[in-house]
Amino acid sequence: MTLDQFRQLAEIWGGDIDRWPAATQSAARALATDDEARRILKEQLRLDRLFSIAPDVSDHRAGRIGFAVLQRIAKVDRDPPWFRRLFRPASLFPAASLACSAMVGLWLAGALPYQQQQEALSVVSMVFDSSTVALWGVQ
Amino acid sequence: MEDLSDEKLMVAVSARQQQAFRILMGRHMQRAVRVAQRVVRDSAEADDIGQDAFLRVWSHAASFDPNVARFTTWLYRIVLNLAFDRARRRPVVPIDEASDVRATDPEPVEHLIADEERRALEQAMANLSERQRGAIALFHMEGLSGEESAKAMNLSAKAFESLLARARATLREHVQKIQNTRRCA
Repeated sequence: MTLDQFRQLAEIWGGDIDRWPAATQSAARALATDDEARRILKEQLRLDRLFSIAPDVSDHRAGRIGFAVLQRIAKVDRDPPWFRRLFRPASLFPAASLACSAMVGLWLAGALPYQQQQEALSVVSMVFDSSTVALWGVQ
Repeated sequence: MEDLSDEKLMVAVSARQQQAFRILMGRHMQRAVRVAQRVVRDSAEADDIGQDAFLRVWSHAASFDPNVARFTTWLYRIVLNLAFDRARRRPVVPIDEASDVRATDPEPVEHLIADEERRALEQAMANLSERQRGAIALFHMEGLSGEESAKAMNLSAKAFESLLARARATLREHVQKIQNTRRCA
C-alpha cells in the first residue's frame, strides 16, 4: 500500500483503521508507523469526532413520542377502516339474517306442494292486487 | 421479556403483544429520532418520523425476517426511507439543531469550543444531500460498519463507499471554510 492509497482510505473511512475494509487493514497497520501516516490518521480522527456529534434526544422526548405511537395504535384499533369493520360480527348480522331468510324461502318453495286450483290462485292474486288489498286494509 | 433480543421481541410484536412493542420502542426510539433529525434537520419532523417508523414496525411486524437483516438494520431502513420521503417533499429546511445537541457537560472553555464545532457541523451538514447525511449518521453517529450502513441504506458496498467519501469531503471542506471565516471575523 502506498501513502497515497493510505490517505485515500483514511479520507473515506476515517482515522480508525479497525473500521476500514477488512482486506486493507493489515497493510494499513504496517504503514501506520510512518510519521506522515500517523499525521493523516490524527487529522481524520479529529474529523471523525466532529462528524459523530449527534442531536440530543432526551429520554423524556423519546417517551413522549412512544406514548403518541401507542395512542395512534389504540385509535386505529378503536376506529378500524371500513373494510375491517365489514367483517366484525355485528356487521355480519344483517347479511346473515338475509341469508337465513333466503334459505327458509327456498326450503319452503321446495317443501310445500304446488297448488294449481282456482281458489289458491285467486288468493294469491288478491294478495298481490294492490287495488284490492292495501296496507291500511281491504278495499 | 426485558432480556429478550430485538428479533425475539419482534416475534411477540407480530403476535400483537404490546408489552414487547413497548420494550422495543424504549430501546430504539432515541436512535430512530436521532437519525431522522440528522437527515431532515428539524426536530418536530424527526418526532413525526419516529412515530411513523414505529407505527410501521407495529403494522408490518409480520414481514420482518431475522434471517435477512437485524432488527436495527430494518428499523434504520424504515427511518431513512421516511426521512428521505419527507425531505424530498419539503423545499426549505430550517436549521434548529444547533440549539438541540447532545450535552456532555465539559469544562466552560471546552464547552465553548465544542459548541462552536457543533454549530460549524450543523451549518456544513446543510450542504449535503439527504442521502449523504444519512451515510454520515449511520457510519459516524451510530457507529455502524460500512457493510451494515450499506445494507440499511439498501446500497451496494461500493455505492455506500463513494457516498460516504463524497459526504466526508464536502463536510470537511465546509467545516474548514466556516472555521476559517470565524477565525478571520
